[in-house]
Amino acid sequence: MTALLRLVESTRRARRLPAVRGVVLLAMAALCTAASWGAQDKPAAPAPPPAATQPAEYVGSQTCQMCHEDLFNAFQKNPHQQVETGNKHGWATKACESCHGPGSKHADSASAADIRNPAKLKAAEADKICLTCHLNQPTNVGRINSSHARNQVSCTACHSIHANGPNGLVPRKQTDINKLCAGCHADIWASFQRPYKHRLPEGAMSCVDCHNPHGSFLPRLMQTVSANEPGCFKCHGDKRGPFTYEHPPVRLEGCTACHQPHGSANPRMLTRPEVRFVCLECHSNMPSTTPAATLGTIPPAIHDLRSPRFQNCNLCHQKVHGSYVSRDFLK
Amino acid sequence: MRYLLALILMVPALAQQPEQPAKPAAPAAATPAQTEEKTESPVPAPAEDWLTGSVDFGYRWVSDAGNFQSYRSVVNLGQGPKLTGMDFTILDPQKRLFDRLDARAYGWGGDPYSTAHVDARKQGIYDFSFDYRNIAYFDALPSYSNPLAPAGFDEQAFDTHRRNTSFSLDLRPGKQIIPYLAFDRNSGYGHGIDTWVQDSNDEFAVPTLLRDSTNNYRAGVRIEWCNCFHLTLEVGGTTFKDDDLASYSGTNYGDNPVPLLGQTLVLNSLQQAYGIRGSSIYSKVLATASPFSWLNLYGQFLYSEPKTTVNYTDSATGNFALIGSLLFYSGQQNLGTGAANQPHTSANAGFEMRPFRRLRIVESWMTDRYHDAASPLTAEQILLTPKTLGPDLITAPNYTQTVNYNQQQTDVLFDLTSKLTLRGGYRYVWGDATVLAGQLSQSGPLASGQLSRNVGLAGLTFRPSQKLSVNLDYEGASSDRIYFRTSLNDYYKLRARARYQVAASLMLQANFQVLNNQNPNAAIQYNFGSRDNSLAVYWTPAGGKRISVMGEYDRSSLSSSIDYLGLFLSPAVSFYRENAHTASSTIDIALPGYAGLTPKFTAGGSLFISSGTRPSRYYQPLMRLSLPLQKRVSWNTEWKYYGYGEQFYLYEGFRAQVFMTGLRLTR
Repeated sequence: MTALLRLVESTRRARRLPAVRGVVLLAMAALCTAASWGAQDKPAAPAPPPAATQPAEYVGSQTCQMCHEDLFNAFQKNPHQQVETGNKHGWATKACESCHGPGSKHADSASAADIRNPAKLKAAEADKICLTCHLNQPTNVGRINSSHARNQVSCTACHSIHANGPNGLVPRKQTDINKLCAGCHADIWASFQRPYKHRLPEGAMSCVDCHNPHGSFLPRLMQTVSANEPGCFKCHGDKRGPFTYEHPPVRLEGCTACHQPHGSANPRMLTRPEVRFVCLECHSNMPSTTPAATLGTIPPAIHDLRSPRFQNCNLCHQKVHGSYVSRDFLK
Repeated sequence: MRYLLALILMVPALAQQPEQPAKPAAPAAATPAQTEEKTESPVPAPAEDWLTGSVDFGYRWVSDAGNFQSYRSVVNLGQGPKLTGMDFTILDPQKRLFDRLDARAYGWGGDPYSTAHVDARKQGIYDFSFDYRNIAYFDALPSYSNPLAPAGFDEQAFDTHRRNTSFSLDLRPGKQIIPYLAFDRNSGYGHGIDTWVQDSNDEFAVPTLLRDSTNNYRAGVRIEWCNCFHLTLEVGGTTFKDDDLASYSGTNYGDNPVPLLGQTLVLNSLQQAYGIRGSSIYSKVLATASPFSWLNLYGQFLYSEPKTTVNYTDSATGNFALIGSLLFYSGQQNLGTGAANQPHTSANAGFEMRPFRRLRIVESWMTDRYHDAASPLTAEQILLTPKTLGPDLITAPNYTQTVNYNQQQTDVLFDLTSKLTLRGGYRYVWGDATVLAGQLSQSGPLASGQLSRNVGLAGLTFRPSQKLSVNLDYEGASSDRIYFRTSLNDYYKLRARARYQVAASLMLQANFQVLNNQNPNAAIQYNFGSRDNSLAVYWTPAGGKRISVMGEYDRSSLSSSIDYLGLFLSPAVSFYRENAHTASSTIDIALPGYAGLTPKFTAGGSLFISSGTRPSRYYQPLMRLSLPLQKRVSWNTEWKYYGYGEQFYLYEGFRAQVFMTGLRLTR
């Protein structure tokens, strides 16, 4: 109920943003429709199958091999081969059918219509097959709430189940990982063609060094390090602190308050081409009749910004990520 | 690390000897008869080489023109013999120490990005992973120093390396109880030029030695039970040290050439040393459960408590001035001690509920809390003459900071049809922060802020056929309170993504993204807008056997304006504009073959052109030719060009031709 009240409040506020209002109303309408349709959708009782459509039966992987020799052979080196050989999941000798369902009808007819093909299912249904075994695993902690799950990106979008070779189910080499991610995030990959960027195009890093594609409690699927610290500190441990003089944006807004981590036309991946604008856009206590209610508004001392020696603030305020000895981040 | 690389190289050789007697038979051809035979009995894995892999090595020439420091800041590839890549896989059919070992290494021989990675696993026994990276960070750009400094453009320049080493070992992978151990080390080492600041009057560029390292140890256990419950328990700790040094001896006039009351400020000597030590403990609890087929639960609790202790000292001589009291003096000594303790607690929980077949409800809640206690103490002793003590300034502001962040989100997903899924949701974000205020604060030593934001969410996924998929994602928000002037306030974000498989060999991908953020407060007047459109084409006729083409084009624009205090604290507007075109392409062509060998030609590269506040151009075309000499040996030649130019900072441009030739050996 609290959430609903907030939703109404949000709608009221959204009047200032017509687009927001429209979308929220659309979402509410969809929600109402969903509830009613969903209720109608549930059958009272399953109808008994006609005699001609008796359920298919499991025939074992070796039957599949007769026609799908290439896939069968490739599967021998696949991590999922343990489904075929082990008893943990109860699919020993039936690994193919653990995903594709019972195959007797398909074996008889050789028709694609008689076998389940996860690649042709919608994301949620395809994921359900994977989650038959992988539901309660560490990767699932963030999955439910991840943007990938919300946007119906299925497991098979990244994991190639029949894949062979050293990559297994998913690419392992940095360049291959980046290629896979760029397949959907072409706009992000374009940022890495800028002069100042993290070294992904060179193959020294990969997208998953910073992002956890399965989900994270941090925004943008950010990786974490040391339990709950942002993943940036995995490589930039010297910026972690805790400092005796913290710079609040580092904790409150993260690195992206000042940096464009994917790539920038500005040196040091800064959001602005000159350091002074990065700083002064926050450090400006403009006179106002209404409270601005923001931190960091204290204006700087009077520096002659015409002089180049004051235009790069971090020439003096060099410990801008946090200082151990200077409140003004001078040392 | 070189020894480690040598060891990796030797592993195949060492592994070869015991393998020879058990060498499997030659691979069987997949004739129909044999296929039938296989169906009658369990089929062993197809016979294959116990060792597969490749090594790339060669020599690189670099010819550069323009600003070499800029070249090193952006590209930094060097000349000389290089081991550009190596990867191999060992399969042990007898499965003694491992079932499989994968190793790879790239960029050795003085390259700015050297990496090595080893995976080894024995099914059901262990899963081991090692990763090493050494990434150079060189930064020496004149536009980021004071061009009027007498010493030249050398302030804030760095030539350092950051190294990351990771080990992880999972025991009993795939079982119900999986213990694991891991160790990570991150360190930085190198030289640079920092500035030593004297009472805001003058800063002196001084050489520094940068040294820091963080070690991270962790261990835990994952418990998975019948796919309906999972629990991960982990404890860990870190140690940190930072031993940066700066020293100088000579005559350094700093970057303020204007005499103060007729006296020139000068630094004659400096000894500066940081001795920062840190440690932390942390613990992590993750849990998921599926009590019913229609309900999935998850939750995690994360706690860390990093601490640091500070030992700092510097001693400087020269001719300095305290501008507040117009006191000239000849030296100063600073001593800094202190400690900081920052308990950090995070927790989140949620569920996914499926009350009906078409409906999913996802609820999540999250909190993240920092409580920071710091007690710095600095003492500054002025020396009027080398033997005459002056004023002693002591600063000891003990304080505590608090940052609380909370978020609650509800999403409802509904499958309108089998091809269309709609999504709507709501997120409420709230928090508060009490932090140390700026030195010039008129409202006390601490400053407080609050965060309150209502966000509406919507989206859809439309897949009318296997060939076409469309995804829309919308987020619109209104904020009551925000922390910073540039924070997200009243904003909307829209992202659209479409993929269309035009034909078996042709695929198109399009992205559109827009972000608009407004803060109409009279003291801020922040208007931010960004757009990004991209189109990608992948063409692989006949499965890419003869030719494959990849092309991407991205058009982005960014516009920002915000009021700020500019020259002598007078109101001004900060404008930032950026209109950028980015394109990248790759064309792979299989050339006519000879003696059963197929040479391959690759051409492509990328370009970036931007206009606006800091117009710049960056070109990276490349051509590559791979000529097989034998079945397992090929001769690779590559040419790359790096061209960088800035309209307003012409002196930072460079042009570099990079030519490399070498061999690739495969097995």
